[in-house]
Amino acid sequence: MAELKPPDTRRCRYFFLYDGSKVRGEGDPTRDGICYFYPEETPVDKQDLLCGQLAGVGRCVSELSSSAVRILRLRRCKFAIRIKDDFFWALGCSMELPTVSVCELLDHLINLFCFYNGSVRQSYQLNSKETLATEWARYLSHVLSGPSELHYILQSVRTLDLTNVDPLLLLKAALILQACQRCPLVLAGCILFRGRVVSTQMPPQLTIKVMVHESETFTKTQRSSGTSTPPSDGGLVSSTAVFLTPSELQYLQSAPVDKISSSYSAPEKDTPPKKTRLSRTLSDTPSSESTPSRPASCQSPQRASFSPCTSGSEDSVFSPAPSQGSSADSPNLSPLSPIRRFSNGGNADQAEEGTLDESHYHSLHSDGGGVSQMPSEGDGSAFEESLHLNGGAASETTDCGNAASRDEKTAVGVGGVCCRKAKGHKAETRQPPSGSCSFDSLEESPLVPMALYMHRVNSLVLALLVDPRFMGDSASMEEVNHSSLASLNGLEAHLRTVSPVAPDAAGAYLFAHYDSVQSTLTTNVSGRPGGVPEHPFVRATSLLHSHFFDTETLQEAIIRNAGTAVYGTRSVAQETYFQQHWGTMRNSGIPNQQDSAFSLPSKARHRLLKHGVKLL
Amino acid sequence: MKCLLIASESAEVLFHWSDREYRQSIQEKYGVSSNSLFQLPAFEDILSTLFAPIIISCSTLEDSYTSFTTENNHIYVLHQFDECLYIAVNGDGEEKEDDLRRKLYVLKKMVEVMFGMVTLSGNLLRKELRPQDTEQRARLWKYLQSLLDTYSLLRENDQSFLVEAVERLIHPQLCELCIEFLERRLVQQLNSSVERAGEEVLHAFVLVHTKLLAFYSSRNASILTPSDLLALIVMAQNMYPSNVDLDDMSPEDADSTSGSGPETFYTPEPSPSSRSSSSSEKAGRGETPVFEFVDPEIQMAEDSLHTLEINPPDPASPRRVFLEVLHKDGLYPMMPHSMYCLSLWPGITLVLLTKISSSALAISVYKYLEDFDKLEKRLHEGHGGPASARSPLNMQDIRSKMDKFIKSLEPHDLQYAQLQNVWAEFKSRAFSRAGSGFNKDLIPWCKNMKTQLCGIYRQCFLTDSLSADVTHRLSAGLQERAQAMVREKLVDWKDFLLVKSKRNITMVSYLEDFPGLVHFICVDRATGQMIAPSLSIAERTTSELGKGPVANYIKNKVWALVRTTRRYLQKGYSTVTLRDGDFYFCYFLWFENETGYKLQPVDIPVLADDSPPIGMLAYDYYSRLLKYYSKNHKGENVKCYELLTVHLGVIPTEIILQHCRQLASKLWEPSRNPLL
Repeated sequence: MAELKPPDTRRCRYFFLYDGSKVRGEGDPTRDGICYFYPEETPVDKQDLLCGQLAGVGRCVSELSSSAVRILRLRRCKFAIRIKDDFFWALGCSMELPTVSVCELLDHLINLFCFYNGSVRQSYQLNSKETLATEWARYLSHVLSGPSELHYILQSVRTLDLTNVDPLLLLKAALILQACQRCPLVLAGCILFRGRVVSTQMPPQLTIKVMVHESETFTKTQRSSGTSTPPSDGGLVSSTAVFLTPSELQYLQSAPVDKISSSYSAPEKDTPPKKTRLSRTLSDTPSSESTPSRPASCQSPQRASFSPCTSGSEDSVFSPAPSQGSSADSPNLSPLSPIRRFSNGGNADQAEEGTLDESHYHSLHSDGGGVSQMPSEGDGSAFEESLHLNGGAASETTDCGNAASRDEKTAVGVGGVCCRKAKGHKAETRQPPSGSCSFDSLEESPLVPMALYMHRVNSLVLALLVDPRFMGDSASMEEVNHSSLASLNGLEAHLRTVSPVAPDAAGAYLFAHYDSVQSTLTTNVSGRPGGVPEHPFVRATSLLHSHFFDTETLQEAIIRNAGTAVYGTRSVAQETYFQQHWGTMRNSGIPNQQDSAFSLPSKARHRLLKHGVKLL
Repeated sequence: MKCLLIASESAEVLFHWSDREYRQSIQEKYGVSSNSLFQLPAFEDILSTLFAPIIISCSTLEDSYTSFTTENNHIYVLHQFDECLYIAVNGDGEEKEDDLRRKLYVLKKMVEVMFGMVTLSGNLLRKELRPQDTEQRARLWKYLQSLLDTYSLLRENDQSFLVEAVERLIHPQLCELCIEFLERRLVQQLNSSVERAGEEVLHAFVLVHTKLLAFYSSRNASILTPSDLLALIVMAQNMYPSNVDLDDMSPEDADSTSGSGPETFYTPEPSPSSRSSSSSEKAGRGETPVFEFVDPEIQMAEDSLHTLEINPPDPASPRRVFLEVLHKDGLYPMMPHSMYCLSLWPGITLVLLTKISSSALAISVYKYLEDFDKLEKRLHEGHGGPASARSPLNMQDIRSKMDKFIKSLEPHDLQYAQLQNVWAEFKSRAFSRAGSGFNKDLIPWCKNMKTQLCGIYRQCFLTDSLSADVTHRLSAGLQERAQAMVREKLVDWKDFLLVKSKRNITMVSYLEDFPGLVHFICVDRATGQMIAPSLSIAERTTSELGKGPVANYIKNKVWALVRTTRRYLQKGYSTVTLRDGDFYFCYFLWFENETGYKLQPVDIPVLADDSPPIGMLAYDYYSRLLKYYSKNHKGENVKCYELLTVHLGVIPTEIILQHCRQLASKLWEPSRNPLL
C-alpha cells in the first residue's frame, strides 16, 4: 500500500491551449496547433505528445457521448478540459485538488483572458502567439498565486480583514463608489487596498478579474487599446480595455435600477422597461433551446446570481455578513424569497442546459435534491412551494419562459437572497460546474467592449468599469475625479493607519470558513512551512468540499483517522471546516461517546465566534 | 446506457457487454458516420472502430488514462490489466466512477476464475477470450455477459454483495446439523466412492439464494478465501438465478412448482435451439437476448449453427474454476478445481468443489512461471543474470527440475513438443558456451518459456472442461445421489429456509433496545462475513420499513453510504459520521485481537483515486489492510470489524454513539454471536 505522500507543491502541472483548426491535414505538425503550453520549458516533443493525445482522445470521447469532455484523469494528474469550436483547453493539476476546483480554476483562467482580450479566436487573429502567451502566463501566475492549497480548493476574493476595520470606513468607501456612479457612463466600481477588497459593487467573479489588472498596474506597460492620462493631483489614473459578457453587463446595468425599486415598499412593483423587454423576449419564445432566446435567457438568472450587493441602500458595502440581512429589512419579502430563489436557480440551469441534450437536463433536475437544502433556512411553507415549483420547472423546458417572467416580477430588490440560492443551486449541477454561467465568455453571445478605469492613490485603488466613451469624455472624467479624489485620499490615510493584524497563530485549532455567495474565505491556515502541520487539514477539507458539492443533502460530517479529526458543516451559503489539535488523540476507533472527535461541533461553535463565524 | 469492453492493444475487442440503450446509441452513431444503410457490421467491430482512438492513445501515453467525464455526465473508466485494456462506460448516472472501476475488477476476477494462469499470457488469453470459432465465441461471451448481469443485479440488490462479505443464515442449530451432515455423510461418501474418477471433494456448501447455510471443508483442504467464495456464489446464482417474482410468492405457491428442476424457472428463449445450448446458463430473467442487435440474417445463420450442434453441454459436467490455495509451502493462486452446482430446490443449491487428479501439475507450472518471471525481472534490471542474483545454483536447480518436469509430461501432443523445443533453445542460449548467457538477449526466451508453460497449463486444465470428458469427473449417478441425500435431509426445512433467507434478521428485534436506529450493517473482515437486517424492497414483501418508496429510499441511502465511506477509507479515514437530510450516518472501522481487546488504530494508507476498489470480491483490500496492521502486532491474531449505522437525524448524537457502541460489542459477544 502506498505511503502517505508529502503535499505536492506544484499544484498546476500543465496548462495548454490547442487550436485544432491549425492541424487539419495529414502532414500538419501538432506543434502548429499549440497556442500556449505551460510549463514553457517542457520539451517540444512532450508538448506535442500531450496536446495531440489529449485533444484526440477528448474529441473521440466527446463524439462517443455527444457531449464535450469535461474531466480527463490520468494516473498522476487530472485535467479539466474545455472545448470550444476548435479550441481545446486543458489544465492539469495534482490529484489532491478536488475535481470541482480544477474545473473552476480553468474556467476562471479562460474568463480572465476573455475579460482583458475579448474573444479568443479574434485575439489570435489580431495578435501573435507569443504576445498572447505572455497574457496566458500572466493570468496563470495570478490564478496560481494563492498562499495555500486551501485557496485553490475554495477560490475566493481576498478582502480586508473586516473585523479589524472601522465600519465607518467601509461605509465611506461605499459612498465613494456610489458618488462615482452618478456619472451615467460609470457602471460599477470597487475599491482595493493593498490588493484586498475594501468595497465592491461588482459580483465576486468580476471583482477578481478586476483585481488582476490592479495588481499589475505598476509593472505592466499600458496595453495598446488602453489610454493613459497623466497623473493629476498626486493620483495615478490609467485605463484599459476590458470585455464583459452580456450577462455581466446586464447585471451591472440593472443593479442601480434594482436599487431604486427596492426602495419601494412593494417588490412586485413595475419592473424597469429594460427588463420587461427581456421578459417579453423570453415568453415570446416557447423553448429556451432555440438559439435566439439563449443569450436572453441566460441574462435573467445571471442578474440574480450576481446580486449580493444590489439589495437596499447598503448594497454596495462589501460585508462578509450574510446578505440575508438586507432582505430581512422588508419582512414581507422573506416568505417569498425561497420560491424566487428556486425559480432563479432552476432557470439559471435551464439557460445553461440549452446547449446540452435533454436527457442530461432531466437527470440533473430529477435529482430534486436541492430542495432539501431548504429546511436549514427554515420556513416550511415556502419549502413546499418551492418543491412544487421545482418539479414544474424540471418537467418542461418550455417552462423556462414562465419561470423567468414569474421570477422577473418578484426578483427585484431581493437579490441578496436570490444569489444565495443561485449559488447553492450550482452545487446541484455536480460535475460540470456550469451552473452559474461561469463559463459564459465562451457562449455564442458576443463580448461587450468596456473600459476599466483605475485611479491609484498610493496603496489604494479605485477601479471603475466604465463605458468606453467615458475615457473620451473629459467632463465625466473630471466629475468622477472631483467627486472621489478628496475622499480617496482621506480613506487611504485612514486605512494606512489600520495596523495589519498578525495572522492567527494556528495553535490550538485550524479552521476555514467559506462564504460561497461573496466568495470570501476566512481561515487561519497560512500555507507557510513550519508550525503546525496543515496538510492533513487541507486534505480533509478538500475531500469534504467535494463531498458537499456532490451530495446536496449533506449538512455536516466528521471524519477521523488515527491522528486527526476534521469537522465540516455547511449551510446554503457557507462551508466551515474545523480541526482541533489534541495532545493525544488515541483511541481504538470503536464507537465511543467519549471520543474527542465527536465534541468537534460544539468546539467549533465556541471557538469560531471570535472570528465572526456563527454556526447554528 | 452501460457498456464494458476488453480490448487488446491493437484495438481488437476481446469481450464486450452492454445494455440495449448503449447498443442503440452506438449503432446510431456508427450508422451516421459510416452512412451505411445496409448492414451494420458486428457490434464488436463497431465498438472497435469507435473506441480505437482511445485504445491506441492509451498505449502511446506514458501515464495512462484512468477516467473521462463529459458534460452530460457520461463516465468512462479505463484500466490496463497486463496487455488487456478494460473500459467501462456509464451514461445513465446509475453508476459512479468507483462502481465502474469495481465492475472492471470483478470482470477481471471472473476471467481469472475461468481461465486461471492462462491470464498470465496475453497472447493465450486473447485467443481464449476471443475464440476463432464465432459460435464458440458467442457462447463464451454470452456466459461472461450473463455473469456480469448476475453480478450487477446482486450488487444492486444484495447487501452481502454491496459490502462484499458473505452472509450466513442465522440459525445455529440448523447450521450445525447441516455441517455435520455434509461432513459425516455427504463428503465422506463421495470421497470413498469409486465413481469419483480421481476427484476429491474439498469443499461442500449449501446456499439459500446468496446466503450461506452451511459450509464444510475437508481436513486437508486449504481455506477458501472470501474473494473466491463470493465469486463462486455469483457463478451459482448465475446458474440457478433467484427469480425475484418467485421469491415473493408464499411458500405454498412455490411448492407447486418445486421438484421439477430449475428449467421451469427460465423464461423460454426466443429460439429453441439456443435454449438447448445454454440450458445450464442463465437464460431469461425477462431481459432481451444478448445478441439481439445481430442482423436477422446473421441470427438465422447462427440458429442453424445451433441446430447443427449435436451435444449440448452436459448438465452433469462440472465447471472448471481456478481458486487460490494455501499450501504448507506457500500460496498458489489459480489452482484448478471442478465446481459442481446441484440445485436442490429453486433457491437452494448445493455446491461441491473438487480437487482434480492432475492438480499437482498446476503447482509445478506455477513455480516455474514464477522462476522465469523472476529471472526476466532480473535481466531487465541488468543484473547480468543469476550470478549476481541469489545464487548461481538457483538456475542450475531450475534446469534440472525443468528437465524432469518435461520428461514427466505426456509426450504425445503438440504443446509438449513446443515446450520441449523452446526449453532446448533456452538451454542452449543460457547454459552453453556458444550461447549468449544470462543477459538481456535472453528476455524474449523467458517470455517464450512463460507462454509455453501457460500453454501446457491450458492444455491440461482448460480444454478438458469444455469438452464433455466423462472420465474425469464425478459420475452423473454419484451427483444425483448426493443431490438426493441433501434433499432428503433438508426437505422439512425447505420452506423455512426460503423464508429465512429473506428475513435473516430483522430490525424489529432491535427497535426496543435501539430506538431511532433505522438500519445497520456489521462486517467481520477477518472472516469476510457480514450481518445486517434484511432490506427487502420488492413490492410484494413488507419489511418493517414498509414497502415501496420508503424502503427504496432507505436502501438507496445505505448504498450511497457504503460508497461514501469507502471513499473516505481509501483516503485513510476510518471513522465517518454524516448528517444527511433527515438521517445520521455512522461508520467505524477498528481492530481487535482475538480476545476482543480493542487495538490502537494506525494511520491507514492513503490510496490513489484509481487504486483497486475497496472490498473483498475482486481485490481483497481488507486482507492487505490486516497484513499491514499486523506488522506492528506480531504474534497476535488481529481482527478487523466495520459497523455502519443509519439513525433518524432527530436522535441526539450522544445516544447514537451509545447505540453504535452497544451494537459493536453486542453483535460479537460470544453468547449472541450470530456468525458462529
